[in-house]
This record gives sequence, structure tokens and C-alpha cells, in this order.
Amino acid sequence: MGLAAEILQIARRTAADHGGGPLESVTVFVGDLAAVEPDLLEFAWQTLVGESADAGARLIVEWRPARQHCAACGEIPERAAGSWLRLCPRCDGPLAVTGGDELEVRTVAFSGTPSPAEVEQ
Amino acid sequence: MTEIDVRQKVLAANATAAQALRDAFHAAGTLVVNLISSPGSGKTTLLEATARALKERFRLGGLDGDIATERDADRLRRAGIPARQILTGGACHLDARQIEKALAEEGERLSGLDLLFIENVGNLICPTSYDLGEDFKVALLSVVEGDDKPFKYPAIFSRAAVTLITKSDLLPHVDFDLGAVRWQVAALNPSGRFLVASARSGEGMDSWFALLEEEIRRKRAASPPGAGIGPDSSNPANW
Repeated sequence: MGLAAEILQIARRTAADHGGGPLESVTVFVGDLAAVEPDLLEFAWQTLVGESADAGARLIVEWRPARQHCAACGEIPERAAGSWLRLCPRCDGPLAVTGGDELEVRTVAFSGTPSPAEVEQ
Repeated sequence: MTEIDVRQKVLAANATAAQALRDAFHAAGTLVVNLISSPGSGKTTLLEATARALKERFRLGGLDGDIATERDADRLRRAGIPARQILTGGACHLDARQIEKALAEEGERLSGLDLLFIENVGNLICPTSYDLGEDFKVALLSVVEGDDKPFKYPAIFSRAAVTLITKSDLLPHVDFDLGAVRWQVAALNPSGRFLVASARSGEGMDSWFALLEEEIRRKRAASPPGAGIGPDSSNPANW
């Protein structure tokens, strides 16, 4: 719920800064290891936009996989519990894990046209 | 419709506040430990025992996050250290702005400390995501909670520098496979420390105290000269 509130705050500020109206959709990157459950985030989002001026605004979650490399098996493309365990899901060897911690607002879409200053940029 | 490219970290506001806290704690030479666990695992009891054992040698303080009641801060004050309750009004975690506000309002009473404990809201999930400017997180797991928890809540056990198994005096009475838990934590967090203790019986507490002492000294050595011992503790820069 806290994360959904932060996302909504960033989105509303972005729309306001650009002279826009109600939110239409917000795209977020969420990494495998960001400890975020997408269904719960979606539920929290719906609860927050609820009956507000932004009612109906969609939250679009794009998963960002962690990169997993096993010394024996090479790159492990599948999203697996192994990324938390740092154990290769194929051979149980040690797994080097990078990335996957993204938690970022990528784009904010709102109704209305951008402010004139925005058009000039 | 207009679409704007934002590319802003969701927790950017919290991260900015946390960095300001970290800078202030560094300047003051204050070690900050963020305790995270489920409700009832023994965070406050651990801190009471720690306060009694270390308060003569170090200046300790506590911030206690809860949804309601002043009970935890009261308990720490009775154990002899300054403490402030932060009531979240329903939120399941503490964030850096709440820590900033509480320390500012508390002023001198919680400044110039050797060690500040932040007792997070009892929850193994959300507090994991919020940086509070701490030096490290400690995950507590009591033996009555079950030995499958590290794999069920991997985020906190992989990010905590220390996993502390509490209520070890109850081990003979419960089915808790300590070896299995140790293995799970090692798989999630190969460089983490693993301690087993009982605040009630005192067993294992010496290792916990030794770890804190070592970290207090390390922090002091890494801080600017004179940090934490200056008379001007009313200066927020000396938190």
C-alpha cells in the first residue's frame, strides 16, 4: 500500500507539473527481487484511485528479471526461486545474481494536452 | 492523451531522506540498527536486555514503530534508555521521513548516541523495502515461528546483515530445526551473520553484545574526529 501511494504521488505530481488532467495509466518497472507482489500492488492501486478524480487509471506492471549466471551452467534465463536462494536451479551450484531490484515509475499518461512549455522542449 | 517519460525510482523520496539521515549519523558517529521481524518475536525484550547490559558503557537510544500504543517506548525507558514511540496510524512499516521527524522533535534526548535502535513495525515484508539510513538490518526469528520462514520471506533474510534466532530457551519444546534455518539463511545471504540467543535465559546474548560493541567501535573509527563526544549535541548535525 505504501508503494502504491508513492507511485500515485509521483504520477499525480508529474501530471500536475505538465498541466495535465486525470491520470489514464502509469507504467512501472518491478524487478524480480524488489519484493513486490503484483496482485497486491494492483489491489492497493485500485483502492487508492478508487472514487478519486483518477478513478479508472490503470497501473501497468512490467517485470524486470534478475540476471542469473551459474559458473557451471551459464546464463539461467528462467525466473526461478533460485534468484533469491542464489543457488542454480539446475545444478544447485552458487549463482551470481545481478539486477532485478528495479522499482521505478517509467511513464505517466494523463488526459489533456501538455502545457505550452512542454511542447517547446 | 499525453504520456510523459518519468524514470523515477518509486522510493526516491524515501531514499533522499534516508541519505540525509545516514550523513547525519555518520557525522555524529552513531551506529544505527534497524530491527525487523514479525510481531511477538521478541524485539523489545531483546532491546530491554541489551539496554541493561550496555547502557553503562555506551549511550543508547531507541525509536519504536507501532500502529498503536506507547508500550514499547515505555518498556525501553524503564530499561534505562531514552526512547520515543512512532505511531504509524495503520501503516505497516517505518519510513525515513518519520525517523527524521521523530529525531527532530526529540532533539537532544536522542542525539549524540553511540547506538540508536530502530524497532520497526512487526512485519517481515514491507519494512524490508524502506531504507531508514541505518548501518544494517537485523532480522529476528523466534523458534516458535517455525523453521520454514527464511525461504517463505526471502527478501528480509537476504538483506539483513544479521539474522538473530530468538527465544532459544524454548528449543527443547518446539519442532524447530536450527540447522535447516541456518542453511536457508546461508543460501539467501552467504555473507550474513547468524546468531542464536535467548534474552530470557541469557544464553547466546554475549555474542550479540560483542557484535554491537564491534560495530560501535568500527562506526566511531570511520566517523570524523570528535564525532559523538562534542558538547553541542543540540546541533542536528550531531545526531
